[in-house]
Amino acid sequence: MSFADQAYLNTRVSIMAARLFDPVQIAAMAEEDLQTLAGRFDLAPILDQSLGSRAKSRAIEQALIQTLLSELTLLIRPMGPQARALILSWGRLFALINLKTLIRGKLYDLDGDEIAENLYELPSNVRLDLPHKDLFRAENVLELLRRLEQGPYRLIARQAREIYELRHEPFALEATIDQRYFAALAHQVAQFHDANLQPLQRLVGALLDRADLMWLLRFRFRYGLSPSETFYHLVPSFGLMHRERLLELVNLDAIESVLAALPPPLDKLSTHSASIIDVQKRMGTHLYREALHTLRDERPGVARALAYLILRRMDLQLLFALIQGGLLELPRDIVRIAVELAEPNCPADTTLSEASKPRARD
Amino acid sequence: MLRPLPMKHVRLLVLTEDLQRASLALAQAESFHADTRPPEEARLTGAPGRRYGELFRIAHARLDKIGKLTPSGNAPQLQEVRVILEPELQSVTEWLGEIWSECSRYEERHRRLDDEERLVKEQEAALANFANLDIDLGMLRKKTRFLDFYVGIVPRENLHRLEGAVKLADHFLYPYMTSGDNTHLVIVGPAGTKEAQLGSVLQAAGFQHLALPEGLDREPDSKLAELSRRRREIEEERRTLDSRFARWSAGFEGRLQDAQRVLLLAEPLVILDPAIRSSGHLAYLAGWSPAYALQRLRERLEEGLEHPFTLETRDPRSDERPLVPTVPVRNRLLQPFSMLVKQYGIPQYGEIDPTPLFAATFLLMFGSMFGDVGQGAVIAAVAWYWRPRLGRFYLFGIMAGLSSVAFGFLFGSLFGYEQLLPALWMSPLHDPILMLRLALAWGVLFLATACTLAIYNRLVVGNLAGAIFGPHGLINLLFYLSLVWGGLNLAIGEAFGLLPLFLATGSLLVLAVDGWRHLEAPLGEKILVVFIQTLETVISYVSNTLSFLRIAAFSLNHVALAIAIFTLADMMGTFGRVVTIVLGNLFMILLEGGIVLIQVLRLEFYEGFARYFSGEGHEFTPLRMRRTGGN
Repeated sequence: MSFADQAYLNTRVSIMAARLFDPVQIAAMAEEDLQTLAGRFDLAPILDQSLGSRAKSRAIEQALIQTLLSELTLLIRPMGPQARALILSWGRLFALINLKTLIRGKLYDLDGDEIAENLYELPSNVRLDLPHKDLFRAENVLELLRRLEQGPYRLIARQAREIYELRHEPFALEATIDQRYFAALAHQVAQFHDANLQPLQRLVGALLDRADLMWLLRFRFRYGLSPSETFYHLVPSFGLMHRERLLELVNLDAIESVLAALPPPLDKLSTHSASIIDVQKRMGTHLYREALHTLRDERPGVARALAYLILRRMDLQLLFALIQGGLLELPRDIVRIAVELAEPNCPADTTLSEASKPRARD
Repeated sequence: MLRPLPMKHVRLLVLTEDLQRASLALAQAESFHADTRPPEEARLTGAPGRRYGELFRIAHARLDKIGKLTPSGNAPQLQEVRVILEPELQSVTEWLGEIWSECSRYEERHRRLDDEERLVKEQEAALANFANLDIDLGMLRKKTRFLDFYVGIVPRENLHRLEGAVKLADHFLYPYMTSGDNTHLVIVGPAGTKEAQLGSVLQAAGFQHLALPEGLDREPDSKLAELSRRRREIEEERRTLDSRFARWSAGFEGRLQDAQRVLLLAEPLVILDPAIRSSGHLAYLAGWSPAYALQRLRERLEEGLEHPFTLETRDPRSDERPLVPTVPVRNRLLQPFSMLVKQYGIPQYGEIDPTPLFAATFLLMFGSMFGDVGQGAVIAAVAWYWRPRLGRFYLFGIMAGLSSVAFGFLFGSLFGYEQLLPALWMSPLHDPILMLRLALAWGVLFLATACTLAIYNRLVVGNLAGAIFGPHGLINLLFYLSLVWGGLNLAIGEAFGLLPLFLATGSLLVLAVDGWRHLEAPLGEKILVVFIQTLETVISYVSNTLSFLRIAAFSLNHVALAIAIFTLADMMGTFGRVVTIVLGNLFMILLEGGIVLIQVLRLEFYEGFARYFSGEGHEFTPLRMRRTGGN
């Protein structure tokens, strides 16, 4: 990227960063009624449509994703091919959700319309290079996998087929898809050899740290996978959860031991966590801080743009939670808990001691 | 010709049991474009065609997939038009489901054979690799009391993670060969303790065992022969599978064609589905139709429907204008130009269709910039010769070529020779100043016409303020014409003139005031923006007019290029001269012709369309019945 492009990108990111919510704004939004909130974010026309609350919720989610992806498209314009590929790789997250929805839909033999309703409409630049029409028209999982095997996802399809035929469990298949997504992201970062490398490693490292720790806890202690298999599904991070640390952590036998063995600052974040959801929340905070640090303190525009997109996605998820709370007419207290403005006073998830007991898979 | 074909809004009320017939009648009339807006009547909320549409889509997808495996000879022709009711469509869908299920099993068996063949190939590669080793490979084949051995392949991209995972299970991984996307490896570790753990990891990593044959260390040749035999067997199995499938599929080829016919007949209702609403036995359908075709539409419905129906028509309301489809130009000669106009957009209903104007001005400008009898004839001949490849676009090439020929006669130019043909007018190089003046005059006429069309288009859609104050509206035109008037006065050596000065300044002031009124910004920003906008108006009209000088420049350039080629040719011998002239002409046709084409399109799109053509309409696509199957 030329100096002018960097300056343009940095200015663009700085202007867009003004859209991010601050805690005061979030607290105020949580108190607003649905119509005011929707009106403020140009979502009122969707609420005015004569749709059911599920369809409205879906349309709002789609609109928020469109907002995020149109901002992504705007940000990648001045970028060079390498940076653009990285940001687009991050944006393909939604395309992978579509792929998983398709597979899950076919696996449970859902109606085509129902599957279609749950697919996101995505701009062509973040779509996967897949024969979507053929995949959608597949009448069962095996046919779907055959179609997948004909494209660039043939390796994942072959693996997925073996996993599917042996276990008939979508979890393993989805884990393979997720793992591939994060591995691709890590690979894209490793291709940088300039000033972008370090901040990107730190930022994407935080993303991977969160994913790795959550997968580790879930795979090991929820699904009862062996240390070897758990390790196999993880993606070594540039940050705190690097390969050697992962090898060490997967060998531990209880969640408490894993949390106690975490390096700073994760150890502080995870102490006194009551449940895996609690850990997830705190890891979200860690990612939020890292992204905010990159956005405020770093110079290279690519890392700042990615940090902005990560933060913006968090904000839009929060906005969606507020709107969904309004659509479902949930009590204000529950909504506050959902957007992390209040602590839950009921056990929202399995407690650590319960979750520590390894469970055999069905 | 410039005005759009008048359209009518059509509202059709039929009994739901007549819907299929109505869809066929409308498809046969080929003059009904569906309007998918919900009806104003609140009770019309049913969607009677939904299930029908769902069945159609499933059947169509199955037919499409079956068609890829069993390509039938001829696409079926639709001989008889008949109503396809839902039970028939359902039975066809179910039958196609059974056929596809069998086809899918065939595909799956093929895939398994492919997989097995791949594995045999990997085994052959592994065998060739092991054959050179001087160790007892029998040890790798079976478990020992203390050690477990796994020999196999794994996708290359999984190797690194598998290495760590295997290490956690106290095993050791040794990759010994890479072939394609796979890595061949041996995993060794202590027997018993973590076998189950390792098994699940290997499964997740897509590990495939390569069974080492018995007696490998003694007779590798015979083992290789065995694997080669297995490959032949797989090939044979594949052939048997294919021939069995071909025999099986031949048995229902006729029925498959019948199914295609059923889908062709069901298609019109499915296309109309989004526009159909119902309440009880009453179904509602709305759309657009050219006014001239209404009588035929009514006749078709009267012929086709069993029960009474109501057909109401009315003129489009002004608020509906953006929704009214525009009937594209049908004139054969204008169609290639229409294709180019579509690259910019479709005229909105009521807007002037720029195609005829575009065609005329394009040919005029192209010919004047590339006037040569010989080169124009070559362009026309090439377009004629390649007409099968160019499709309808070949006419564009022929007309551009003929325009070049016509101007070639005016300029007296034949393959660059200026002496062979007497010029009907003059060579551009004889009076370059006149050429430049003419180009400027053409530019003024072009821009003034574009502004006039912009004013007309806005008036037609009821945008009076836009017609007067908007970009390229009446005030802009007034400013431009007074600027031209003053410019002409200066050109003939007089003063700019008080009246033109008053008109130009006054219109600029009006534009500035209008811009000020519509701007919401702090005072300083308002002053800056209005100043820049006003300055931009002056600069853009001046520069846009000067932009047309390129017409004269290219006509001069064409002659100058020819002179340069002849100068080069004169420096050669006879053969060199001929070659230089031929290649030079070829160069001029390809390079200069291409550049002129781009320049003219630029003038048309940027100086013309951008002023008066919104291109925000949508094309009239009437419901039609496909008479032939296939995609």
